[in-house]
Amino acid sequence: MKIVIPVAIVVVTVILLVAGGLSPSQVGIAVGEGVGTTFTGSSTGGTVPEQVVTAFLQNVQRRNWHGAYAYLATQNKADEASFVRELAGRDASLRTFSTLSSWDLKPMHANDGEADIRTTMHWSTPVGVMASVRDLKVVNEQNAWRIVWPQPQLADVPAQVVPVNYLRWDLVTHASPEWGNSGVDGPRVRIVSMNAVSYNGGSVIMGEALNEDTVPAFVNVNATLMGQDGKPIGEESSFDKILHVLLPKQVTPYRIDFPNVELQSVKNVQMDIKTTLVPASADPVIGVMNQSIDTDATGRKVLKGQLLNQSGQIVNVSHVIATFYDTDGKVIWVSDGYVDSALYPQTPETFSVEVPSTVAGSAHNYHVVVNQYSLERS
Amino acid sequence: MKLTSLPLFLCVAAASIFAQAPPEVRLTVESVTPRAVEPRTEQSVVRDYTAAWKSLADASESNAPALLDAYFTGPAKTNFGREVTDQQKIGTHIRYLNQVHSLKAVFYAPEGDVMQLQDSAEYQMQIVSGDKIIHDEHVVVQYVVLMTPGADRWMVRQIQAVPAL
Amino acid sequence: MHMRLILAALLGFFLADLCFGQELNPPQQATAGNPFSIPTSGSGSATFYLFGPGSVVKQDVHLGQAVDVRGEDVTTAGRYTVILCGDTCHSAHFFIAAASPASLSFLAHPSRAMVKQSGSISGVVFPFDKFQNLVLSPVTVNFKMTTNKNSLFSRAVPTRQGVAWFRSDSGNTAGLVLLSASVNGLSAQRALQLVASDPCNLRIKAKQTAKGVLVETDPIHDCAGNTVPDGTIVTFTANSGAGRSTVDAPIKQGVARANLTPSGTTVISAASGVVMGNELRMDVKR
Repeated sequence: MKIVIPVAIVVVTVILLVAGGLSPSQVGIAVGEGVGTTFTGSSTGGTVPEQVVTAFLQNVQRRNWHGAYAYLATQNKADEASFVRELAGRDASLRTFSTLSSWDLKPMHANDGEADIRTTMHWSTPVGVMASVRDLKVVNEQNAWRIVWPQPQLADVPAQVVPVNYLRWDLVTHASPEWGNSGVDGPRVRIVSMNAVSYNGGSVIMGEALNEDTVPAFVNVNATLMGQDGKPIGEESSFDKILHVLLPKQVTPYRIDFPNVELQSVKNVQMDIKTTLVPASADPVIGVMNQSIDTDATGRKVLKGQLLNQSGQIVNVSHVIATFYDTDGKVIWVSDGYVDSALYPQTPETFSVEVPSTVAGSAHNYHVVVNQYSLERS
Repeated sequence: MKLTSLPLFLCVAAASIFAQAPPEVRLTVESVTPRAVEPRTEQSVVRDYTAAWKSLADASESNAPALLDAYFTGPAKTNFGREVTDQQKIGTHIRYLNQVHSLKAVFYAPEGDVMQLQDSAEYQMQIVSGDKIIHDEHVVVQYVVLMTPGADRWMVRQIQAVPAL
Repeated sequence: MHMRLILAALLGFFLADLCFGQELNPPQQATAGNPFSIPTSGSGSATFYLFGPGSVVKQDVHLGQAVDVRGEDVTTAGRYTVILCGDTCHSAHFFIAAASPASLSFLAHPSRAMVKQSGSISGVVFPFDKFQNLVLSPVTVNFKMTTNKNSLFSRAVPTRQGVAWFRSDSGNTAGLVLLSASVNGLSAQRALQLVASDPCNLRIKAKQTAKGVLVETDPIHDCAGNTVPDGTIVTFTANSGAGRSTVDAPIKQGVARANLTPSGTTVISAASGVVMGNELRMDVKR
């Protein structure tokens, strides 16, 4: 009896180790792949190129950059510092706060000398899961499969002086308000449109709001869905699907999701807009260039373009919100997406946001706004 | 009834006797100027004025000025607070019983930030010193009231009794 | 017979003294903060109570002597109850009225208003005495609205139940406006910012540069000629074969400008809020 339990433990441990080593780690569970492992053709779960990519990604997940770098091919090889900056992020971009949580591999093409593998990387970020797709070319270099990773074109802003003379608003509050002299009025922001649609079994309320005032406003839009009996059946906020700081005469879309409420059960919608006076700056100005609706590598419809930071300061995190309109100018969808790279001064950065298939066909027009967060202004 | 349950019955009966019904408040808004009172505002004013008088009755009976914080502000809160503190010092308290308030909105500011009302109030006022009722009066009194909107309720800012409206 | 009558009278006086001796006769109305006396009748000692909004007083008194009520015990306007307790308790009530106005609560709205808006400015005044009692007796409030010492509005309004109010149109010229309310030498002031209305005749011009296309508005005014404030957002849009480009640019020194990067045949437009500007067509060579 004394010997049975220890033996059972050892046996179970061995079984688990073998099982872990056999299955390709598509959910990113580290299985102890070491640095500089050479794959010469052993086939344990997936093709050899897939195994190489898997091992590479496991190192990325562990933030073992040197270990990941060892999997790169010599042709057009990026220098290690640029490679790390590209994957790990820099300058407090969203990527610097992210970890690789999982990935999907889809072999596109393979022969004895090279293979193309479409890699979808799922990053856990403070604002949710973000996916990035990259087609990795894996080549057989002297009987060792390696990943081709070209030198990234990272923004290199030339030294210059960029004058900043855009307006800034500050707030001065009254220390002990007497009745009738307690301060300035809050900003006037009006909801100019609202549309309720059914989506994926739930309901979505969307529209636009306009800052009619001459001062900046911090804005939040809430919606309460009323059932057929007149009682509330759901109450939600726009959360981050809105441009929260609205400058004078600026328009923001908003989208409020009710995933568990069917539209047929809704009798009416009560909208509520909350506004507060906040200090703000009219800088940075971010241009949205070369927007177009296209199909991405995975076959989804996306609205893509380039963000151009026209100021002299790095924008650490940017958030793109796109509004889609039908032929009558009615808001039919609001999409959003974060850019995981920082926006460097005078340097374009690509973005893309998904367009649902039901919207892509009926969207006649669109408008993009950009939320931004800069560490130096926090 | 068993003798053992009699004390309990008496306690419950005493509690039910002394547990006050909430104040009865009626509001008319037909003659208000210059701004009309919205239906929701009307409901809120009735609800909050009722709660204010209930809290005044509770604060005055139990000599707990903190009970005034929720529905009173400005001079009304200061004055009633001082009154409750003073009566506690001399060992007295006041009961406001069987309250009936007939409210009439007479002024509602264009921006909605203040409302003036007239209250024809009736209640039984008992002043108790120690455990002896030294004054018991059926009071009919007219009040001029100012209410202002707070974060989530209307609050009584001024309440002033007058000989006649 | 005479002795019986005398005895009955003495007995009646004695009983009357017992029943009606502790009488209180406060004034029906007094003014806040003013002391006064309440005569009493009867003999012996008693306890005097004063219950009012904002004060409660208890003191031992001698019946037959007047009870002095201090001014500081009757500062709050309202209904007071006085009680005299000897063998039995007797009570009376009286009212304290507000004193003369000593301060004004002036609620003025809004703190920012667009020019040329009808009925957009309003003010409400409540006069209070020095004890924060609402003065209900009528007083005349003089309302004035001035800008750069020019009078835009002036009106005398008597209070009704302690409130006076006014409503006025905003002026035609953007700038700082002073609202004042005065009563018998007391006054309260509020500052109001008149701002330009929506942009009027929004016009743009564009020229090709090395970086792309520089689009610029003419100086932006509202329809009354007031300069639209700096910081107001103008959205520039360029549609070309390369796609659409948009920039939300704030007005700086009366003009908004942006760099766009279209190529080929391009249509450029601008908008601010709900106001649309003109369109330009150009052939951009890159």
